Amino acid sequence: MKRVAVDIGGTFTDCFVAWGERYVQAKALTTHHNLAAGFNEALALAVAELGITTRELLGAVDSVRYSTTLGTNALIERKGPRIGLIVTAGFDSVVPLSRGRGYGDGLSFQAQHDIPRAQRPEPLVPIPLIRPLRERVGYDGDVLLALDEEDVRRQLRDLVDQGAETLVVLLANSVVNPEHELRVREIFLEEYPGWFLGAVPMLLSHQVAGRKGEYGRAMSTIIDGFLHQAMYHGLGSLELSLRDNGYRLPMLINHNSGGMAQLNSTDALQTVHSGPVAGIAASEHLARGGGIGHVIATDMGGTSFDIGIVTADGERHYDFNPIIDRWLVSIPMVHLVTLGAGGGSIASWDALLQRVRIGPESAGSDPGPACYGRGGRAPTVTDADLQLGYLDPANYAQGRIRLDARRGERALRGALGAPLGLDALGIAKVIRETVDHQMADGIATELRARGYTPEEFTLLAYGGNGPLHCCGIANALGITRVLAPPFSSVFSALGAGNVNQLHIHEKSTYTVLFHTGRKQVLTDFTQLNATIAELKQRGIDDLRRQGIAPAAVRHRVEFDMRYGNQRAETAVTYDIERFDGVHDALGLMAAFHRRYGERFGAGSQATEAGVRINTVRVSSFIEVGKVDFGRIDPPAARRPVTPLASRACHFVGHVAPLETRLYDERALAAGSFVDGPAIVTAAATTYLIEPGWRFHAAAHGAVWFTRDGATED
Amino acid sequence: MAADTIDTGGAALSAEERHLLDAFMADNRLFYGPDPAIMRNHRLAPRTAAEEAVLAAGLDANRINLVRGRLSSALEESFTMIEQTGVAPGAKWGDLVSSIFTAAGDLSQIGPRGIVGFATVSHYPVQFIAKYWIDDPTVGVRDGDAFIHNDSRYGNIHNTDQSMIMPVFHAGELVCWVATTIHEGECGAIEPGGMPSIAETKFDEGLKMCPFRCAENFQLKRDLVNFLQNSVRDPKLQLFDMKVKLHASNRLRERVLAVIREFGRDYLVATLRKTLEDTEAEVRRRIAEMPDGTCRIDTYIDSSLREHILAKWPLTVTVKGEKMIWDLRGACPELTNRSINTTLASLKTSLVSNLLVYVWPDLPPNQGVFSPIEVLTDRSSLLDCSDDAPNAMSLIPLFRALSTPSVLLAKFLYCMPKRYTAISASHYNQPATFVYGGLTQHYEITGNFCADINGNGSGGREDNDGEHGLSPTFGAYCDTGEYELAEEELPYLRIVAQKLTTDRTGFGKHRGGMGYEQIVTVKNSAGFGFMTGQCGAKHPSANGLFGGYACPAYPLAKIKDINIFEVMKRTPEQVKHGIAEYMNDPSIAGGRYLMQDAALNFEICQEGEIYMICQGSGGGYGDVLEREPWRVMQDIDEKLLTRDCAERVYHVRFDPRTGAVDEAATAAAREAERAARRARGVPFDEFCARWIADGPDPALPYFGSWGDNRGPVIAQPPGGARRVMPADGVTGVTIGNPRERRIAELEAENAALKARLAAS
Repeated sequence: MKRVAVDIGGTFTDCFVAWGERYVQAKALTTHHNLAAGFNEALALAVAELGITTRELLGAVDSVRYSTTLGTNALIERKGPRIGLIVTAGFDSVVPLSRGRGYGDGLSFQAQHDIPRAQRPEPLVPIPLIRPLRERVGYDGDVLLALDEEDVRRQLRDLVDQGAETLVVLLANSVVNPEHELRVREIFLEEYPGWFLGAVPMLLSHQVAGRKGEYGRAMSTIIDGFLHQAMYHGLGSLELSLRDNGYRLPMLINHNSGGMAQLNSTDALQTVHSGPVAGIAASEHLARGGGIGHVIATDMGGTSFDIGIVTADGERHYDFNPIIDRWLVSIPMVHLVTLGAGGGSIASWDALLQRVRIGPESAGSDPGPACYGRGGRAPTVTDADLQLGYLDPANYAQGRIRLDARRGERALRGALGAPLGLDALGIAKVIRETVDHQMADGIATELRARGYTPEEFTLLAYGGNGPLHCCGIANALGITRVLAPPFSSVFSALGAGNVNQLHIHEKSTYTVLFHTGRKQVLTDFTQLNATIAELKQRGIDDLRRQGIAPAAVRHRVEFDMRYGNQRAETAVTYDIERFDGVHDALGLMAAFHRRYGERFGAGSQATEAGVRINTVRVSSFIEVGKVDFGRIDPPAARRPVTPLASRACHFVGHVAPLETRLYDERALAAGSFVDGPAIVTAAATTYLIEPGWRFHAAAHGAVWFTRDGATED
Repeated sequence: MAADTIDTGGAALSAEERHLLDAFMADNRLFYGPDPAIMRNHRLAPRTAAEEAVLAAGLDANRINLVRGRLSSALEESFTMIEQTGVAPGAKWGDLVSSIFTAAGDLSQIGPRGIVGFATVSHYPVQFIAKYWIDDPTVGVRDGDAFIHNDSRYGNIHNTDQSMIMPVFHAGELVCWVATTIHEGECGAIEPGGMPSIAETKFDEGLKMCPFRCAENFQLKRDLVNFLQNSVRDPKLQLFDMKVKLHASNRLRERVLAVIREFGRDYLVATLRKTLEDTEAEVRRRIAEMPDGTCRIDTYIDSSLREHILAKWPLTVTVKGEKMIWDLRGACPELTNRSINTTLASLKTSLVSNLLVYVWPDLPPNQGVFSPIEVLTDRSSLLDCSDDAPNAMSLIPLFRALSTPSVLLAKFLYCMPKRYTAISASHYNQPATFVYGGLTQHYEITGNFCADINGNGSGGREDNDGEHGLSPTFGAYCDTGEYELAEEELPYLRIVAQKLTTDRTGFGKHRGGMGYEQIVTVKNSAGFGFMTGQCGAKHPSANGLFGGYACPAYPLAKIKDINIFEVMKRTPEQVKHGIAEYMNDPSIAGGRYLMQDAALNFEICQEGEIYMICQGSGGGYGDVLEREPWRVMQDIDEKLLTRDCAERVYHVRFDPRTGAVDEAATAAAREAERAARRARGVPFDEFCARWIADGPDPALPYFGSWGDNRGPVIAQPPGGARRVMPADGVTGVTIGNPRERRIAELEAENAALKARLAAS
């Protein structure tokens, strides 16, 4: 297999190249002014290692795949067109009011609670650019108030005159009956034909999000419109650059749904957070390929800690109303939780509860932890790690940053010495234990709310600080196996190279499977089957547009189901694409019953309150070839490695320092076996093997940590 | 008199006699009513022996912090379970809580999300169970039991909230309690939806569950569930959410036991107690930080939900050292046949919520917050009603308690060097939402309320304007929901879902956040109707601060005897999307255009009739003449303000064609207004002489003290005789039935007409 996968992050552009049996990784700084420059630099490093030219590489690969934070950055910087929004009259303030709660979307619990300081984000659509339209469609699709076409023309002209550069149309219940939204576009094209210079794009909400819920659908469409130009130009220039270098195939873009598609079949909204999601896709690939079972994927960097869930049953965990930046949207996005805990997280004293609090404030990379010597004075997790002896001051971040232990010590003592009554080492231990438990609590909440227990999981630890903290986190969770994955420094890029071409379409429905009052079970499946067929066809059309034969397309059908009028977001996968009889309805209810019970406890189900389907979702995909790592499970061989040296390190739960063996990158050779306490310092990260843990290197630089008493497989 | 003492007719008793009588009473108790010893005490319970022992042992503070983190994770998990699986709108939109209590029943910790008010009211029923049922041989408390409760007389915000309380045993010892609470809505009251405005006695309020066991061995008792289902309009809701709460509570219990396994029982006990004590100590420290002094504020409730009244809601706060006294004496007396009374416990809950939402949002929400504060009330007043008084719409005085104290405390806090949050004018403080009930288009009976209750505008702040339709006054990060989803479940249609209004905010240097209009009609139901339980149609309810205006008044409007769907088809140009547009052009043929008090007793809405209300604005902050002109112009651009209002209220001058501000003319206009203000002013004594009256106008339906809050309390029921009660002898007041009064008025008119006819 020959393939290039790229993850363009905020700081680095990571590149993973599969070239037959050889796998190469490369990193370059992201060049925001022209993404192609950073990408080409990373590619140049990779081809140099392979001993070929860029043109040779791009002429031979089966695909080039991107995941990118371009959209995320554009949102953060609020760089986008002036958007005009057309809504059903009476829904004028749905977007500005953001369901009330919008002020707190994307913020910490603490910020959400501070009502007097609540502040909604700078709007993507200012109120003067929102126009009501005289029309109304009922919940069931009935046209109640006919579209006032003169009103449409008037509002459109007015918005264009006001300088709107993109138009978004959100009409009530358009997902059930899109007639009015479609007619608005027809009128718009009559007034402003597409061949005019300066043509303004118009996005219809029902075409971006298929579910009911006007606010989420509006924000999905608005963000899509807001990012469209930046994404189109950024990715378009990348594609041109690829063409210049001999690549002839369509570029593939990773989506936050965990799939990918060609550029011409990608909504801008689908690319947001596609980088971290690609990391979860990589975890999924490893877990499936290696038979690892349930995996909790964690990415601990400098400022945050991302969590994703991969379960052995193949169920993909989605957020159907994720928060993007500060806005709730209505798209299926792979579930990803971010906690404010990383190496740069600041430790402070909470006088009220007499405790050390970690984050959410972060020193980031500038000024960074106190020990960076760049002006940071607040103590951070990295300062604690340095104090405890885990980091090599002369060889941190490949020697790019020299750590100053004295500055770190002063920061620890200055902020926390008096209230804790401890010396710097004692303080560092408190910070270490607190942050590890904080991350463990975050993971536990995520897993348990979905009906899983942490002990069933393997912890996958990547990101710059992942292997440094993984044993502590696992200890707090009762997890006995940790995997630092192969190519962990370019892990998201690796993931980008291993996803299927996939499109997800969904549609709201009000399908009562069991009406408890009437004691009726659904027997007429005409509408339900028509909905499934429509969504399948849309998926087939998407993939056919990308040159894929309909026969090759596979589908997975999911139903969002609920008891009574509850708000459960329980997605039930049911291996059926068409309902033929009441046995299918009963079977689906049984599957729902089972999944619900697993999640919320046996006996919590309430079929007697009625059962309903609220959303039908069809994933249409084709399986594409994956990068094969072979097996990355712990090798049979256990090759002891001679330590380079040792030093005294301090550990939570141990009063006296422990003599800790030190290793370098050579310990990552497959089969290497090390007992804790030990430290392996590699170019991209530091592996800390805590007392009671063992380190066993596997293929491609993967590392297994196992706790004493636990089996490796 | 305490519930468990006997009247000895004043006879002196020996200790032995007292003991004998107590034993006799215990054996012959008629009824376990609300216990004043529990219900009037908001202080932390004394340390138990077990707590003394573990705290004396000097446990590691850092491990206590780790336990706290574990409990927080467990509470969040339990909260998420309810939010995901609950059926009640309150559960879906954030009106719920999960909580952990000490063994003595003090609430120690709630989840990171949830309604903070529950954090200071949920302990009362736990303490009741601990006091009465543990040792009762016919009840007892065992592992696997769960108790249900809703009656606010035993502790709750109001009866529409239902709690599931579960003991946690470890090695046979009761180590703590856990509970989950949801605002359920429908509870079988005289009106659907759980908050009946026309309840005249407590027996009109529907379910009145004092704490009782509804589950054994982690299983609901189906016979009891059936009884409860039989007592409400929505049996599905009752069953389902009982299951939800039971499983969420049990999940929380399991996590607590896991914490014990990991850290030990001592750490759990120590953490729960220490969290309370640390919080209480911090509040004392913050009080001591404030300047000593006394500030007072009088506000008025303008409706009993049956008729207009002026009911006094006073508050005087005194700070001295680390003591803080909240004095609410002199309030409206208890209205014995109106639903807007509140129990003292519910009142305190709302007062402490104000502290946690608007003053110290960084504090951990638990019982320790309010423990150091002393509260003074008149017994049998609207704010401290008797157990017999109806209180189903206690939200009316409670929403004042949720919003008013911080406006007053701002005067203490303004000079403080440290800010725990921004100082702000009052959040809008009415439950401005439609309560509904009837038959749905899916042939189900329902009764509940719309999530618009979560869209109150916030007050203007010291550094910025208030935010539009932000959150309920009782909590944070709640949700107004999405109307497409609501219309799918319920037989109503929003003609206006959410539309910010014009010229209806609390003006100020920093204006209040605006509220939004809601216009609704019924579709596809043979019997569905609405009620509202709000005030503020005549007297503004959200106070301004430091010269800012209060919010305006918001009446309710409706158009009866029309079918708007026919209008949509035949004369679509008559369809409007604003209250003023409809009411200023009453042109739909046959329509009766009505404007009334903000309160609406439940009534059936025929298909196509229109009901209109407005969610309110927060109060303004600071003098309107200090508002930056660009903000005024932005408000005009956003249609929050008319040009006329900009000129008259803010005295901004601008080019009417371009909207460009004329800075010099604005400065001159404002200076002129300042001069006019000075000219209108009179010396203080002269003002007092002209302004102060001996008592309220006899035509005013006035309730409460007049002037001095410790003076006599006046009650002037509409159509009734005025009563004047001594400050220390307030008793309940009955108001006549409005329908009877109306009949009497019509009969009098009839008699007068007859007399005139006879005379002519």
